[in-house]
Amino acid sequence: MRTYLKIIAFTGVLLGCKKIISPQLNHATPQLYIQGAVSDTAGPYFVTIVKTIGFYDSNEFPGVSGAVISITDSTAGITDQLIETGTTGVYSTRTIMQGIPGHTYLLQVTLDGKIYTASSTMPQPVLLDSVTFNTSDTAEIAAVANYQDPSNAINYYKYNLVLNGVRVKRFSTFEDRLSNGRYIRDKIDADTGEIKRNYSVQLNLVGIDAAVYNYLHEAEGVAYDNDDLVSPATPGSNIRGGCLGYFSAQTVSNKTAVVKY
Amino acid sequence: MLKSKQITALIMTLLPLVIFARQQPVFTVAGTVKDKKTGETLSGASIGFLQKEKLGVVTNAYGFYSISLPKGEYTMIISFSGYAIDTVQLDLQKNIVMNRSLSVSNGQLQQVVVSARKAAGLLKTPPGLQKMSIEEIKSIPVLLGEKDILKTIQLLPGIKSAGDGKSGFYVRGGAADQNLILLDEAPVYNASHLLGFFSVFNADAIKDVSIYKGGMPAAYGGRLASVEDIKMKDGNDQQFSGSGGIGLIASRFSLEGPIVKDQGSFTISGRRTYVDLFTGLSSDTNISNTKLYFYDLNLKANYRLGKKDRLFISGYFGKDVLEFQNEGGIDWGNATATFRWNHIFNSRLFSNTSLIYSRYNYNTQFASDNNNIRVTSDITDYQFKQDFNYYLDPRNRFDVGFNFIYHITQPGEARASESSNFNDITLEKKYALESAAYASHEWSATDKLKFMYGIRLSALTVLGPGNMYTYDQDGNVLTTTWYSRGKAVKTYLNPEPRLAVTYQLDNINSVKLAYDRNVQNIHLLNNSTSSSPTNVYLPTGNIVQPQVADQVSAGYYSNFHNRRYEFSTEVYYKKLQNQLDYKNNAELVGNNNVEADLLFGKGRAYGWENYFKKKSGKLTGWISYTLSRTERKIEGVNNNDWYPAFQDQTHSLSIVGIYKYNQKWTFSASWVYNTGNAVTWPSGKFPVDGVPVYYYAKRNGDRLPAYHRLDVGATLQLKNTARFQSDLNFSIYNAYGYENPYSIKFQNDPKNPARTQIEQTTLFRMVPAVTYNFKF
Repeated sequence: MRTYLKIIAFTGVLLGCKKIISPQLNHATPQLYIQGAVSDTAGPYFVTIVKTIGFYDSNEFPGVSGAVISITDSTAGITDQLIETGTTGVYSTRTIMQGIPGHTYLLQVTLDGKIYTASSTMPQPVLLDSVTFNTSDTAEIAAVANYQDPSNAINYYKYNLVLNGVRVKRFSTFEDRLSNGRYIRDKIDADTGEIKRNYSVQLNLVGIDAAVYNYLHEAEGVAYDNDDLVSPATPGSNIRGGCLGYFSAQTVSNKTAVVKY
Repeated sequence: MLKSKQITALIMTLLPLVIFARQQPVFTVAGTVKDKKTGETLSGASIGFLQKEKLGVVTNAYGFYSISLPKGEYTMIISFSGYAIDTVQLDLQKNIVMNRSLSVSNGQLQQVVVSARKAAGLLKTPPGLQKMSIEEIKSIPVLLGEKDILKTIQLLPGIKSAGDGKSGFYVRGGAADQNLILLDEAPVYNASHLLGFFSVFNADAIKDVSIYKGGMPAAYGGRLASVEDIKMKDGNDQQFSGSGGIGLIASRFSLEGPIVKDQGSFTISGRRTYVDLFTGLSSDTNISNTKLYFYDLNLKANYRLGKKDRLFISGYFGKDVLEFQNEGGIDWGNATATFRWNHIFNSRLFSNTSLIYSRYNYNTQFASDNNNIRVTSDITDYQFKQDFNYYLDPRNRFDVGFNFIYHITQPGEARASESSNFNDITLEKKYALESAAYASHEWSATDKLKFMYGIRLSALTVLGPGNMYTYDQDGNVLTTTWYSRGKAVKTYLNPEPRLAVTYQLDNINSVKLAYDRNVQNIHLLNNSTSSSPTNVYLPTGNIVQPQVADQVSAGYYSNFHNRRYEFSTEVYYKKLQNQLDYKNNAELVGNNNVEADLLFGKGRAYGWENYFKKKSGKLTGWISYTLSRTERKIEGVNNNDWYPAFQDQTHSLSIVGIYKYNQKWTFSASWVYNTGNAVTWPSGKFPVDGVPVYYYAKRNGDRLPAYHRLDVGATLQLKNTARFQSDLNFSIYNAYGYENPYSIKFQNDPKNPARTQIEQTTLFRMVPAVTYNFKF
């Protein structure tokens, strides 16, 4: 689809223009956003609760403390009561320190008398073979994830990058709906010019379940392609009880390489 | 005199028609009306009689008319907008064939028989019908000087543009895929070029367009909102002639002439753009190596076999090509072909038989390092259509007919290279048979009261081969049933009643009332704002129901000051059922179970349209204003409440002026203003993995800023002889350079990661153009 956007953008360059505008926007009452994950890499694991803010506000999302949170490994029958860390709204596991593929994890959050619950099953891990770089345009270097998609499972993935030890605030998603069993060489979306020569690039291949994929895929569309959606909508959470956010039991495989050309 | 008229009217109303028709010796005068110079048949020309002021007929789509009158002597008056009025003396003692040719008028209205014409003319136009000839749009300024009939009709009331750089238009609240766009009877699925900047209709090849926004005759069906019946020129059967133009973006050339004089003619028109020349100038190699062009080819030939038969063959082929260096590209296009046979059984019974082919397809090639994927998709129609017009007497005309359309859609087929991330995939083809039969009766009950009523019975049969699925609430496949080739899965039968009543208040004023039901069985799936040509068409199936629209409309029409001015005002209310919408995350590409991603709902639209036109004099033009509302109600959206549809524009205003300064210069301008479309903007944000993602409280709860634009044009007549005419057309699109939004994007501020910002993209600011046109 990008191709058509590109030609429109090109025509825009030829004839049109871009500018920043500030129309008045509605300001919804703050909503609760809960995000939590358990993975097959060593814990502790965190659950974060913040409130939404207005579009024109600075990206500082107020944390919400005072929640009672538990994560249960329902396959093993273990429940962990999380404790709030020094950062407001961030809660940490104490006993569940290593997630196990195939296990189903339950999240329960109690806040202001309301209960929010979610469940997620950790998929079997898919290993990242390598991270390589597409340097055909050195102004727009892209990291490429190389891995074998298993043909015996339906797989959903999330990618993110760590550049020189700093986590990039961006994620992208991929599913094997049209790619089952293929060897995947997927270019990871990044901001133009973000990756430079001699950078150390760590690529995380995160295996997620269907509900989390749906959430993140919708979130990705809303964050990056909202201008192409006729009716953008708030991503549908996999947490029940009337909040935003997601809870994911996931696998992580990563590789690091230095950009050379 | 008055008394006898009233008595006649009474008898007409009370007595069965057929008995009346046999009351006295009646003879028929029938024939074809043509343009004297080009031999083009004139459809919609009025035939009236000095001795019977209130009686009249209009020529049909093929220029044919028939009228039966008591024996006697008559002065027949033939008139057509833009042509000198023709009169002929008839001594009706037997059935007569009377073919007439009209000359283009020199601009002076002839006063002789205007009153008869007035009466006849007013009764002729059914409610909701608007006709536009290519001559009329010639002077109206358009983007890059490419005169475009589909763009110009968007200046009429009730027809709204989708915006700069967007294909499609919205008629009375309908969606873009709810317009039945016909080119010589063949449906054109994607009527836009270059991502919506131009329509596929080369003005040089087109004769005229008839637009129905409501009260469609029963002969039309298949789409909910409107009919744009576009006719290609038949070709000059008197002499060879040509026309063409050289513009900034495209060149055109047409040639037409007789095959055998007065017997048959042909026309051939071509157009190609050369945007690539501009892209080649770009310093950016990504752009300079981009291929970008489109072309159109229109062909038509007709031949008269004796006095009673005429054959037509017409075809259209068009294609857009867009290719990026090393990144693949896309091409798409329509192809249509129509073979027609007109047969005059007798002076009262006219028949047309058509075989119609229509296809839309696209090919996409994605090429990157390891991926090389080719995706193709198409929709193909084979149609047989039979129409009869029976002219019983001056007050009764019957139209009956039927048609069958066999639809084959290939929603998508992907072929991937060995090293690609993707598997080959072939989506299941879908087969459907759409059939319809109709009957309608045009009945002048009295001199003042006219009815046009009818019924269309449409059926859609979902056919095998193919799997039919049912789904649970979450969209998972519950059951799969295989149907073998030709096996009917399900048939949807829908009666579509149509009614239009016209009452002539006096010679100048009339009122009209109409009701119509339309049913649509081909649905366009598209949840993207960009005019991507990767349209997926889905026929009605076991899950997707036929869309149904019921509309009532009422209007008042006036042609005053010797028909120099026209005023109309219409109100409408429309109810829509089984409207399509999409779930979040709907996968419309490469999905065999696309039905599971759809939502269904209702719609309603109502409005008030006003149109004031000055038709003659140095200054001509019109003002059109529409006040309207378009709403949707979809299960699961906005708490199941009614909400404004994207195309809901409260106010919509167009002002068009054409000023003929002298023999050399004509100036024109058009100004449009409309309320911004209803859009969904964030009302908050939250961090998903640290990325600001937007919170949307309400669908379509916000508004784009109002859209307005002034276009100006000037035409300089260079040479004007009988053998050769040429002119230069200058235009400026968006003359005051207002930055109307093409897209609005909510994004991270690239300069400040702690903030989010809103970026507006404008496509066209002040686009000047010059076009050289010639005709010989």
